[in-house]
Amino acid sequence: MNLELKNVTRAYGSFKALDDVTVTIPEGKLTVILGPNGCGKTTLLRHIVDSFSSKMPIAYVPQETFGSLSMTVRDVVSLGRYDRTKFYVRENEEDKRLIKEAMRDMEIDSFSDRNTDTLSSGEKQRVFIARALAQNAPWMLLDEPTANLDVKHADMLMSVLTGLKRSCIVVLHDINLGSLYADNIILMKNGKILSSGAPGEAVNCRLLEEAYDTGFVSAKIGDREVYVSSRQ
Amino acid sequence: MEKKRHNVWYKVIIAVVILIAVMAFSCCLGSVRIPVRDVIGAVTGLTEVSKATDTIVNKVRFPRICMAVLVGGGLSMVGALMQGLFKNPMADPSILGISSGSAFGAALIIVFNINFSFMGFSGLYLGAMGGAVLAWFLVYNIARISGEHDLNSTLLAGIAISSILSALITLLMTLHRESMEQVYLWMLGSFSSSTAQKTVTMAVVVAVIFPVLIFMAPRVDVLKLGREAATGLGVSASRTTGILLCACSVLLAFCVANSGIIGFVGLIIPHCVNFMRVYKMRGKLLMCFLVGAVFTLLCDTLARTVVAPGELAIGALTSLIGAPYFLYLMLRNLLRERRMR
Repeated sequence: MNLELKNVTRAYGSFKALDDVTVTIPEGKLTVILGPNGCGKTTLLRHIVDSFSSKMPIAYVPQETFGSLSMTVRDVVSLGRYDRTKFYVRENEEDKRLIKEAMRDMEIDSFSDRNTDTLSSGEKQRVFIARALAQNAPWMLLDEPTANLDVKHADMLMSVLTGLKRSCIVVLHDINLGSLYADNIILMKNGKILSSGAPGEAVNCRLLEEAYDTGFVSAKIGDREVYVSSRQ
Repeated sequence: MEKKRHNVWYKVIIAVVILIAVMAFSCCLGSVRIPVRDVIGAVTGLTEVSKATDTIVNKVRFPRICMAVLVGGGLSMVGALMQGLFKNPMADPSILGISSGSAFGAALIIVFNINFSFMGFSGLYLGAMGGAVLAWFLVYNIARISGEHDLNSTLLAGIAISSILSALITLLMTLHRESMEQVYLWMLGSFSSSTAQKTVTMAVVVAVIFPVLIFMAPRVDVLKLGREAATGLGVSASRTTGILLCACSVLLAFCVANSGIIGFVGLIIPHCVNFMRVYKMRGKLLMCFLVGAVFTLLCDTLARTVVAPGELAIGALTSLIGAPYFLYLMLRNLLRERRMR
């Protein structure tokens, strides 16, 4: 089932974070949302969680860095299986496999017994992503998951998400990660959708210039374009 | 994983054994020393004991010991939940404003010398309970003004109401200096007014609230992931927070009405349990109850025996014993982490 959003408006006081947004997000694809700060990307993700979580399981990774969790890495990842284990049902083999695979995919299995309060922001981020992977939900929503990650782990994450063959919506600030890995891109500005579609259609120098108010130049890598701000 | 699960239960069993031992030990001590054999006989009724022993154990010491166990355990559980819900290691039960509400209610009764009793409960007890209800009513409704239960608003409303009530208590004490000592002593906490009736009431409250908290505990772990992530896992942040805060408030109101304000227990016991490497909320609540009960009971035993027949303020003892021990645990942990680097 594709996610259909029709004429969605969300406001904080008089400020419209989402302004009459209508967009279709395809199922089974990796969709990347791009746009400048404050354009409504996070609000769009939150709206999807609020509107659709009663109809289908959604695994969500927020952008905030959390306060004290006081839990081990393994305990946090195992919360992904909460829906099945909530009434004190013991983890079955399937739960254990999903938790193990998620920890291996995010390369956190070597410190699974450490308290998350002692981890760096990037390591913590990978724990939360592993938690969402372990949930094994048909839809995964990630809000700036690469914000605290180094280049290697950012690339690794995008490869894992591409390989999942699940429906993923990822908010990114790195246009090129989006352009290189996404099946579908949504470009936003001022709470509105500027463009959406395959990377070749939804993103080009002109659209990026309009979204970010700065010039861009592009270069081709394989069949995909990468972009650099012309100020650089 | 099997090993870890085993570990928590292993720690719980050890804590239960220690608690029972400390309860028996505490029952023996006091202005009259009673042998363990007689204590067991008096409590269980299995062996014949003298009337005096029976009265001391069953009417005086046992209700007080059970009260210390229930209040210490209750305060520690509430502290652990506050730290979990607010994701703040400095959170403790007092942030809900209930302790100040109770103190205000008790101060009013003391200052205006209101003497009444209802169904066997003293005016002071009922005043403290009334103050707690009033404070929670204000905090709860202010925090829910947006329609959803908001944690930040709860925290801010709790601090604000707490400050107002503390200021009112200070004013009351300044205007009625003759009652100052009595109000101050009430606020320092004591289990000396524990009766069998109050203890049974407290036990019923704990018996009702304890399963609710244990049942809801895993949701607190999920809430730590953030509101949207919890929603995605089928946990409503607003509903969970509302239910837990109400349950904690009832438990806290009874704790404070029974014993006055016993500081530090709700803050340090959850940290001590963290140092025991019990992190998941269900195990943590169980351990907090047991460790908090042992700690409070030990402090109360000291409070009533060191200067017997007089008493030390338990609130001062919990801080005096708890804080250095807490610092020791913290330093040991920091040194261990430094060695691991």
